[in-house]
Amino acid sequence: MRSYWQQTGAVIRNEFHTVFTDKGVVLILVFALLIYATAYSLAYGSQVLRNVPIGVVDESRTPTSRALIDAFNAGPNTYVAYTPTSMEEARELFHARKIYGVVYIPADYERCLYGGQQANVAIYCDASYFLMYRQVFQEVVTSIGQTGAMVEFQRLVAKGANIPQAQATTQPVIYQSQNLFNPYLGYGTFVMPAIIMVIIQQTMLIGIGMIGGTWREFGLYHKLCPAGRRRMSTLPIVVGRALVYALIYAVTCALVLGLLYRLFHFPMNGNPWTVGIFMVAYVSSCIAMGIAVSTLFRYRENSLLLMLWTSIPVLMVSGVSFPREGIPEWLYNLGQLLPSSHGVDGFIRIQTMGASMSEVFPEIKWLIILTIVYGGLACIGIHQVIRRELRQRQEARIAEKNRTE
Amino acid sequence: MPGFFHNVCAVARRETRRLIHQPMYLVLMVILPVVSFSFFAILFGQGAIRNVPLAVLDQDNTSLSRKVVQMIDETPTAMISYGIQDMAEGERLMREGKVVAIVLIPPFFEKSILSNSQTHLENYVSGTNITVNGLLSKDIQTAVTTFSAGIQLQLLMKQGLTEAQAMAQLMPVRFDKHVLFNPHINYGYYLAPSFMPMMLMIFVVMVTIFSLGTELKNATSRDWIDTGGGSVWAALVGKLAPITAVMFLISLVMLIINFKVVGTPLNGSLAVILVGTLLFILSYQAISVLIVSLLANLRLSLSIGGGYSVLAFTFSGLTFPIMAMWEPMQWVSRIFPFTYYTDIFIDQMLRGTPWVYSLPDLGWMSLFIVLPLLCLGRLKRVATEEKFWGRL
Repeated sequence: MRSYWQQTGAVIRNEFHTVFTDKGVVLILVFALLIYATAYSLAYGSQVLRNVPIGVVDESRTPTSRALIDAFNAGPNTYVAYTPTSMEEARELFHARKIYGVVYIPADYERCLYGGQQANVAIYCDASYFLMYRQVFQEVVTSIGQTGAMVEFQRLVAKGANIPQAQATTQPVIYQSQNLFNPYLGYGTFVMPAIIMVIIQQTMLIGIGMIGGTWREFGLYHKLCPAGRRRMSTLPIVVGRALVYALIYAVTCALVLGLLYRLFHFPMNGNPWTVGIFMVAYVSSCIAMGIAVSTLFRYRENSLLLMLWTSIPVLMVSGVSFPREGIPEWLYNLGQLLPSSHGVDGFIRIQTMGASMSEVFPEIKWLIILTIVYGGLACIGIHQVIRRELRQRQEARIAEKNRTE
Repeated sequence: MPGFFHNVCAVARRETRRLIHQPMYLVLMVILPVVSFSFFAILFGQGAIRNVPLAVLDQDNTSLSRKVVQMIDETPTAMISYGIQDMAEGERLMREGKVVAIVLIPPFFEKSILSNSQTHLENYVSGTNITVNGLLSKDIQTAVTTFSAGIQLQLLMKQGLTEAQAMAQLMPVRFDKHVLFNPHINYGYYLAPSFMPMMLMIFVVMVTIFSLGTELKNATSRDWIDTGGGSVWAALVGKLAPITAVMFLISLVMLIINFKVVGTPLNGSLAVILVGTLLFILSYQAISVLIVSLLANLRLSLSIGGGYSVLAFTFSGLTFPIMAMWEPMQWVSRIFPFTYYTDIFIDQMLRGTPWVYSLPDLGWMSLFIVLPLLCLGRLKRVATEEKFWGRL
């Protein structure tokens, strides 16, 4: 038993040495998480899109139509940057990316309103950028709706209705919509938790893969195993290495979740203990997967070449940026094999929505299952690599011997 | 000049042999790009987002309240999955990730409506996913507005107005909505053509750095320069041209998947898209050359190049517009050719912008191709001096 402890100790010392003497590995395992998390947070730092420039073609040119233009200006999301005189001019402004939406007010606008008829307004909004589309459409429609309700209300009162009655007729059902957990619908608040979770997993896969690739390239794996191998001697290797990575990520995750989260005001509604326990489960499953996958790389650079591109598909399949209801079922289920899919989902619910341990129990359960499965695969992988290395050395030695004889 | 051309061909032949003999090239230039394009084609194949689960707390439970619930359920995005007894239950369901929104109908909902006094309806939507939030809020709002308009119509007609008069009364300002360029508001139409070039770019960077970096790692770079007759120019052109050619062919596969499988419209000029794609590939190759020349280390170059390319998506402004970013970040967004490329494809695929508007973007991308010129001296030194070789 003692020899297992000694072996684990040796593995830990060796791993620390390997990680911190290798600039490339330090860059990915230690700094990448901090750099990326900061860079993305800065990009999304302003959180919301405001003041999208739109154009209004006002053929009516009356106080009433100008009141409508003022309504577009009054809201936070749009401002009327140009009042082109024709749709042709508006199109040019649009192609030059000066405006992102056009409202056309016809010449008979005021006449219709005063005459008790229906006035028509045309809205052209650009759906090639989704956030722009949403802000423009929402603001314009709200302004038109409010203007219309005001007109209707005035007409009813003019006809002799009392004010509560007129209100009830104008708007029988008041619709109130509240956005929970992210009241201003900040983009960073929405996407950063998922990105951070995915970066943790991907840096782990690439970083550990780089160590694994280096060891295989130079045939160093067998050194982790004491001479005279015994059964289960790969377990201390996996555990020892995992502890080192866990320690590194304990520090970097604490920085990101403690410091960066506060700096950028991301929501921290989770109980710290729940967050901590969840992160332990998540990081362990990522490490287990990282070690398991790392035994597949034969060269130092392979993990980067082969794993980097997966970051975006991995983020997509977790069902955050692109909602899970839009992902084909089988692809989503396949994604459940990745710790990140459970990690992202659970983490958002804990940290953004304030879910308790029992409410994320299914995710924690899955993370533990994945840790065990990938941990087992890691043991098998390392076992295979060491066996192959020892056999090759054996063969080399025999060849050497034959040659000298 | 003929000598130069001869040298380029010699290096290109040498490079082609390398591409064939090292299976990693096949993986990086053909297999993984196609796999990743297919991934996005499948991911966005469904296009629309349907049946997002929500809970209803109906405190009225009358025919009118059930009517509005039914109208919400019938919208494309929403699906009523749970009828709940109190808000605490709804909040729990939300934290468990089982529902995204809770609709609350207050008591006396029907009674208020029938007695012509105002009532209200509340919707609590989770803001953790703003995409779902946007779609769901819009659909529920539309359902409630339609419901409410129906009631108004009945009220007004009871007062003796004709239907047309009543319509003019309840909606004095009507609007015609024209959704330009992406009329079905298909998410896939703009995400698929933006993620695929992102993948293409990652592989261009990886394969270019790999092909230059392995020369250094395996100490074959002097042989490479010698094949080019000692001219670093010839050596570089000969080395990159075969890769450019293959990656351009793969980008055609990408465009075919985009137009034929995903079904993205092509409203503008295909020629501009093709020229843009070629410049896009060349600009990222140029940046890769710069990185390898400066760092002279395969793995470190891959890390830096990879990091740089992955950041491009966020800063391209496709999902979060550049306009909304902080000023310094808007400047940062300029250092990625991808930003210009996305402008080109949005303009040329979706918007059908006249081609002259894409010229500035093409010009900016060309500027990135000039970069390696600045470091050719350094590249030659790195490639011929042994102290730069075999670094890990």
